[in-house]
Amino acid sequence: MSGVEIRGLTKTFGRVTAVRGMSFTAPAGKVTGFLGPNGSGKTTTLRIVLGLVRPGAGAALIGGVPYGRLARPRRTVGALLEAGGFHPGRRARDHLLVLADAAGIPGTRVDEVLGQVGLAAAADRRVREFSLGMRKRLGLAGALLGDPQVLLLDEPANGLDPAGIAWLRGLLRGLADDGRTVIVASHVLSEIAQTADHVVIVSAGQVRFAGALGDIGATGNALESAFLKLTATAG
Amino acid sequence: MLPLIRSEWRKLSTVRGPWLLLAAGPLLVVAGITGLVQSGGNVQDPAVQSKALAHVALAALFTLIFGIFAVAGEYRHGTITDTFLSSPDRGRVVTAKLAVYAPVGAVAGLVSSVVAVAVTAAWWAAKGGSFHLSAADTWRTLAGGVAVNIAFAAIGVGIGALVRNLAVAIAAALAWIALIEGIAGQLVGSGLARWLPFSASQAVGQADLTGASRPLPQWGGGLVLTGYAVAFIVAAMVTTLRRDVT
Repeated sequence: MSGVEIRGLTKTFGRVTAVRGMSFTAPAGKVTGFLGPNGSGKTTTLRIVLGLVRPGAGAALIGGVPYGRLARPRRTVGALLEAGGFHPGRRARDHLLVLADAAGIPGTRVDEVLGQVGLAAAADRRVREFSLGMRKRLGLAGALLGDPQVLLLDEPANGLDPAGIAWLRGLLRGLADDGRTVIVASHVLSEIAQTADHVVIVSAGQVRFAGALGDIGATGNALESAFLKLTATAG
Repeated sequence: MLPLIRSEWRKLSTVRGPWLLLAAGPLLVVAGITGLVQSGGNVQDPAVQSKALAHVALAALFTLIFGIFAVAGEYRHGTITDTFLSSPDRGRVVTAKLAVYAPVGAVAGLVSSVVAVAVTAAWWAAKGGSFHLSAADTWRTLAGGVAVNIAFAAIGVGIGALVRNLAVAIAAALAWIALIEGIAGQLVGSGLARWLPFSASQAVGQADLTGASRPLPQWGGGLVLTGYAVAFIVAAMVTTLRRDVT
């Protein structure tokens, strides 16, 4: 019901066109791998979906509605954007309580998500003491806080150790199996090959391929060769 | 609105920096009044008493910087992204911040006032002067000092939202107070200079302020400071607050 629909998005920063006429749909109940080289417009697209960046043209809809018009944004969409975004002096639990307060989410939910991402023991530590992987987990906890139907995750595996990556894979699978829409932007192809049902490959701000992962090839190598071929034609 | 205000209060109450910054206000009051007495201020002169208590308004320098942190500090740490995800309506974010920062500015001003009265009374007693808490100017000066602390916190919120870069915003605010307003005042003449923010704050923060500077009346200075706060906030809302957060 609440998939993500990208319709003809275009975004220009100064003289650089980051996204040009991008359109795709990420269906509910699936993990959609959003793939592309550095600078291909993935992050800009996600930021447009989240209402942080205003598109020059086109629209990004969540269950048919732009982010800015969602009645309860944090309970509808959870987002993980980058490893930054924390006050270094704030404790992990307090960081999540700030988000919970704004969304009217009860504080008990904060301890639930801290447990879910494996940070229960670090809840009272200040973020400045956190490793990159722990920050990633805290960001994921923030995304999961509102128990949202839609998750947008930008490079979620970045900084996680192998055990963390395996854990993340199970988490994403479980979320999609619950019927949620999960979009994972990444350039770690082997990771996507193991997790995604659906892939959208972009290059130079345009969609080069959108469809089932099986249509490209189920193995990491097949995905890699398809990715390199599709993104090389960008010129 | 209430959830956003609660969230803003949570942001403030869970870090130490803003409180250390605000604690500098009363310290400045102690140092300033002590300096006034030590440099030969006549404790028999009611005007000197008023000048001592006017340090409450000078301590508003710290509520100004405190206010700048409200929005610019969030850009600095990247938490602004989460803030705008919680509330895509950015104007409501600034309103919630004002609802928290202005009262905290008031409390900072009240603490500075209590400290100012205590330190002034102590010095006056030590030097054999007679401290008059009951004088009408005393209360108007203290109330004005608190008002300046509130107004500067709100102006700071506006400056931080407009400039967004924390270091630039603080440097610009300090440079204005320390240097630029003085030069600008000389260029435009005292008739116009009294409308400038720091001059207006002095008119608010000392009830019996007189002299060649032809200060605004206390209430007039209050209106002018309110006007600056509104101007910065509105300017931020129609320009930088609408920009992309990348």
